[in-house]
Amino acid sequence: MSSRVEYGWRATLRELFTYKSAILGIAILAFLVALSVYAVVTIPYDQAVKLWRGSENVWINNPRNALPEWWEWFAGKKLPRTLVLDSRVTGFGVSKAVTPVVGTDMKLVTINYIIDYNYDDFPSEVNIFFSARYQKNPPLVKLVVQKPGGEEIEFPRFSLRAPNDSLYYSISKDVLSTLVSYYASKHGGVNVSDRLTSIELTFGRASREGLESGALEVEKGMYRVRIDAVCFGEDSDLDARIVVYGKVHGPAGTDNLRRPLEIALLWGAPVALAFGLTASLLTTVLQMVIATIGAWYGGVIDDIIQRLTEVYMILPFLPFLIMISAFYKIDIWVILAVVIVLSIFGGGIKSTRALVLSIKEYPYIEAAKVYGASNARIIFLYIIPKILPPLVPGLISAVPGFVFLEAALSFLGLGDPFLPTWGKVLNDAFNAGALYRGYFYWVLEPAALLMLTAFAFAFLGFALDRVVNPRLREM
Amino acid sequence: MGEDKVLLRVENLKMWHAMRRGLFGGVVYVRAVDGVTFSLAPGEAVSVVGESGSGKTTLGKTILRLHEPTDGKLIFKGRDITHTPEKELMWFKRETGLVQQDPYGAMPSFMTIYRILEEPLIIHKVGTKEERSEMIFKALEEVRLTPVEDFAFKYPHMLSGGQLQRVAIARALILKPSLVVADEPVSMLDASVRVEILTLMRELQEKRGISFIYITHDLSTTRYFSEWIFIMYAGHIVERARTKALLQNPLHPYTRALLAAIPDPDPENRKRFREVPPGEPPSLVNPPPGCRFAPRCPYATERCRREEPPEFEVEPDHFVKCWLYVGAR
Repeated sequence: MSSRVEYGWRATLRELFTYKSAILGIAILAFLVALSVYAVVTIPYDQAVKLWRGSENVWINNPRNALPEWWEWFAGKKLPRTLVLDSRVTGFGVSKAVTPVVGTDMKLVTINYIIDYNYDDFPSEVNIFFSARYQKNPPLVKLVVQKPGGEEIEFPRFSLRAPNDSLYYSISKDVLSTLVSYYASKHGGVNVSDRLTSIELTFGRASREGLESGALEVEKGMYRVRIDAVCFGEDSDLDARIVVYGKVHGPAGTDNLRRPLEIALLWGAPVALAFGLTASLLTTVLQMVIATIGAWYGGVIDDIIQRLTEVYMILPFLPFLIMISAFYKIDIWVILAVVIVLSIFGGGIKSTRALVLSIKEYPYIEAAKVYGASNARIIFLYIIPKILPPLVPGLISAVPGFVFLEAALSFLGLGDPFLPTWGKVLNDAFNAGALYRGYFYWVLEPAALLMLTAFAFAFLGFALDRVVNPRLREM
Repeated sequence: MGEDKVLLRVENLKMWHAMRRGLFGGVVYVRAVDGVTFSLAPGEAVSVVGESGSGKTTLGKTILRLHEPTDGKLIFKGRDITHTPEKELMWFKRETGLVQQDPYGAMPSFMTIYRILEEPLIIHKVGTKEERSEMIFKALEEVRLTPVEDFAFKYPHMLSGGQLQRVAIARALILKPSLVVADEPVSMLDASVRVEILTLMRELQEKRGISFIYITHDLSTTRYFSEWIFIMYAGHIVERARTKALLQNPLHPYTRALLAAIPDPDPENRKRFREVPPGEPPSLVNPPPGCRFAPRCPYATERCRREEPPEFEVEPDHFVKCWLYVGAR
């Protein structure tokens, strides 16, 4: 009759650890839990939402669509990091000198930057952000770039249009035409290829063939950038920040809005775990209680529950959920409640009911009735403890389904409007055409985390199933 | 028997199970117990003997009000409990106990023996925690599961069938009931422990003065156990008498056949022809109009097939439901 040698939770756990899949599942789960705790502790909820929804200005010093830093291991070359040089922050490579012009209220501001560029690839962008103070006339600014080889390129003087003007060096037409004409004159009327960008022309080793074919190599070494500005007025000043954007950033890369993906990936973990576990737990427990009550009392109660279940089972779950989320812009906890309400009368009712109908006839239930146990006592203390163990593996195995559901809703743009989740990252990537444009990491990272979560629960569920239902064990 | 000496009075008790036949068929009734009358004095033990399907188990369960009788009357300690709703039966549940056939199935596998014995006490709000613990240890001692500390915190699967049946007896007796129904309590046990369990039950029954209804298909065990024997056949009690009288002087042809079927280790027996009536018990859905045993009875007359016999008291305390004894007294 009883083939199990040991009973109780402790014995079950001990037995669970004899399965490799259980250990693997628990290890992955522990990693995800650690990730969640780290996310919640280091980036509080409000801050996460603010950072994720913040405009581009928060992340202006980050490269756009940068790969994660570890991509270097696979690329086999040193990929450029982002370099930020700010004249307001004194440090290595930045120096600023202000000389008043005697007899006038003019000032000459000279800022020198040294950029030590030792990467195997071109930067993705270069921007210069000015911050000027003036009364009437904006400063006149001249930019001089000296390459490691000694070539010095002077850009035409221009006047700032606003105190916070910026020079988008990589896309400015003036910059490009200056560079093209500089090389054309230096290499004796060479026909500079259209394919070359300002970045390549600035950071590339210029040769006649290279300029004509449009294939330049990176010139490594010290780049010196000088900003010569003439400021007008007593209280005038100028500062500038040069950002040489790299091609890799952080542990997870950035998206098209320069946001570091790790914020969303980190915050996705607690959301996915909380959503999946809560949904699975509540659905299983509620289904179990409802099915047990129905099977125990029988008659009209059972009939109502069974008919309701049959109706629920043919209702299209996802379209319903989509409709509800589309009509009411709801947050993730309301979505969770809706998911639970929609799955209460699920298929689990049928299998639990079948189980209870057989347990109902067990002699020990009859004995309990003879000594006067009430219906509630029999349901909660005599039947549910008996059917609970076989339901636990199902509960664990059902978690990924709910995690995927949340991701699917977010992917469809129907998830929580504020919270960064894995599904939302996938949605952003899809909208930005990430796979067409080769931003594979943007899709693979959240997908990998989703699969990891599914694996963890599946491994654990399988092992638990074998422990709890010994008949599944292979001989 | 004076009215004050009756613990349980069963009057024309009928328990028909409703059953639906097929998809469009109407409801039919299985007449598991079909008109049973007897009384039980306090402290008396009764054996109910019958073959499978004779309704003996249903009779036991109906007496314990696990079923609501279809017809008839159940009077316990002078109170009519035939149709009393479940909620008002708590006093009755405290007065009754049940020992079942399958000792493994009779125990919730997830509770310790201690908890199993504590459950009835908790439900009936008996004593404080300490008092209950004392009662449980005493009960285990009484059924000789010693050392009690060893047994109390074990789970049912750690015990043997015989030990579990002792737990079942302890559970049935822990509320100090006045009536216990034992439904084939030894038929699933090893032959070696059967007598032990029966003796233990008999001992406790006599010591505490409990009324016992011992349901069995095995006539040979009844003589050790009871003052009365009731023979059941197809939902009727066909013969009831004091144990000695019934075993020495069986009146009903069915009882005679049953007694003749008991194996007796006497070498002479191999030459004797055993007279076993051919056939099977009748369908309880559609029983024959006359005596239920008539189709198999070698003495059946036309009257037997037509008319149901009443109960005749052939000798004092010896009742038989058979036309052969019409006018015997």
